[in-house]
Amino acid sequence: MMRRPLIANVLVALALVVVFGWLCTTVFALLGTQTDWSKAWEYRQTLWRGWWMTLQISFAALLGSIFFGLLFMLGQRSPLVVVRWTCRAFLEFVRDTPLLVHLLFGYFVIFAPLISRPLGERGFDDKLIIGILLLSVFEGAYLGEILRGGVESIPRTQWESARAVGFSRFQVYRYVIFPQALRRALPAMAGLFVSLIKDSSLLNVIGVAEYFYNTKNFISRSYAGLEGYVPLAIGYLILTLPVAWLSHWLENRFRHET
Amino acid sequence: MKLEVTGLTKCYGTTRAADGLSLSVESSRVLVLIGPSGGGKSTLLRMLGGLEIPDAGTIAINSHRLLSDAAALQTYRRKNGFLFQQFNLFPHLTALRNISLPLEKVHGHTPAEARTMAEQSLARFSLIDHADKLPAQLSGGQQQRVGIARAVARQPEVLFLDEPTSALDPEMTAEVLELIQELAEAGQDIVLSTHEMGFARAVADQIAFVAMGKIEEVSPPAEFFGAPKSLMCQRFLSRVMRY
Repeated sequence: MMRRPLIANVLVALALVVVFGWLCTTVFALLGTQTDWSKAWEYRQTLWRGWWMTLQISFAALLGSIFFGLLFMLGQRSPLVVVRWTCRAFLEFVRDTPLLVHLLFGYFVIFAPLISRPLGERGFDDKLIIGILLLSVFEGAYLGEILRGGVESIPRTQWESARAVGFSRFQVYRYVIFPQALRRALPAMAGLFVSLIKDSSLLNVIGVAEYFYNTKNFISRSYAGLEGYVPLAIGYLILTLPVAWLSHWLENRFRHET
Repeated sequence: MKLEVTGLTKCYGTTRAADGLSLSVESSRVLVLIGPSGGGKSTLLRMLGGLEIPDAGTIAINSHRLLSDAAALQTYRRKNGFLFQQFNLFPHLTALRNISLPLEKVHGHTPAEARTMAEQSLARFSLIDHADKLPAQLSGGQQQRVGIARAVARQPEVLFLDEPTSALDPEMTAEVLELIQELAEAGQDIVLSTHEMGFARAVADQIAFVAMGKIEEVSPPAEFFGAPKSLMCQRFLSRVMRY
């Protein structure tokens, strides 16, 4: 009984290895003569700087998106109808338009004319700061929905019990609702943070010297192919895999608790 | 406890959960609300407990009047206890923490004080062995008992219980009812709604019959169960007491 699935598994695995191996050898055979890994080594400084920049952008936008996410979540739960509707409309707009458009429009039309000069005079990199801001708003819009889902999934009796023991409005959120809602939202949040890291590559369109931008420059300058794209993929994997693992770990851990 | 309620009205959409309800009780230790489901017991209890603001009417408990602004009601809730049918406990906190957290954050006790008080409260109802368990690890009856322990940890003026045993099986019902009786005998003022007629008879010193958003009848249990005056009440009792 146990042997049949085992054999099937082995056969399928073998077939996959053969297909993948064939694909790799064909591609490498075609490109093999032109591939020169020393090019990538030559540009290692730029690539490293870009990767480090991507890490910093991701971290800053992560904090930023948490801020905006909380803001959007609370806005949608505001007792004022006008605030709720404005929030709703803004979120809908942000979530239904591409990040690329936000970055181009937000940078060149809205923020650059507005704050580029004052930022530049104080010695800041305006592209970087505006890019992080726009990325934070975009991811924050998604996070806001995730958090709202988490908060609204907490049963009514929990709110009531919290009020009944005398907690204030703030304390109800702080001690009763958030700890439970975050627990439920954590896996989805970790997934979003993986997206955030990947989306940060779009900042290249406004000229932020992050990992993708620097790799692109390296490729066009040295006519590299694989030597550029393989490190690019690996570089992003190094950033995203730990977050993805964290998300699975959290999912497993909290599944048993409630 | 002295209770004076006049013209209390509360609407949810088009349903009038309380419809000009008036109730006057001179002095009662345990007031039990009885009546058909959807008759307004819970609504009345929630307004008495300061969880819901009436659309119209006044409530006075022990001759101080309930105000209808949020801050005053919060202060009021802090000196009373309230227990719902189920899911009272915060599932992410242990039984002990469920009790000590409000003591710390609401009543301003130091963590050490709060812990001692919570332990005393659990010990009083022989729940101390469960102190470090999460609510999911407790039975329904134990959860309700911890809920009551939390509600009385800081000697509430009045304890409100909204059908505290409706979600429990008979055995657990008994353990919770025993605890409530114990509290009543120790002198705790209690207002509770229930479908357990035998318990109501044993523990109440006044019974109020609530139906269609109004009080039909208020009387001591012997009189209420022996010779109910209103027709609606007679019908209800004959139906629920048949089996």
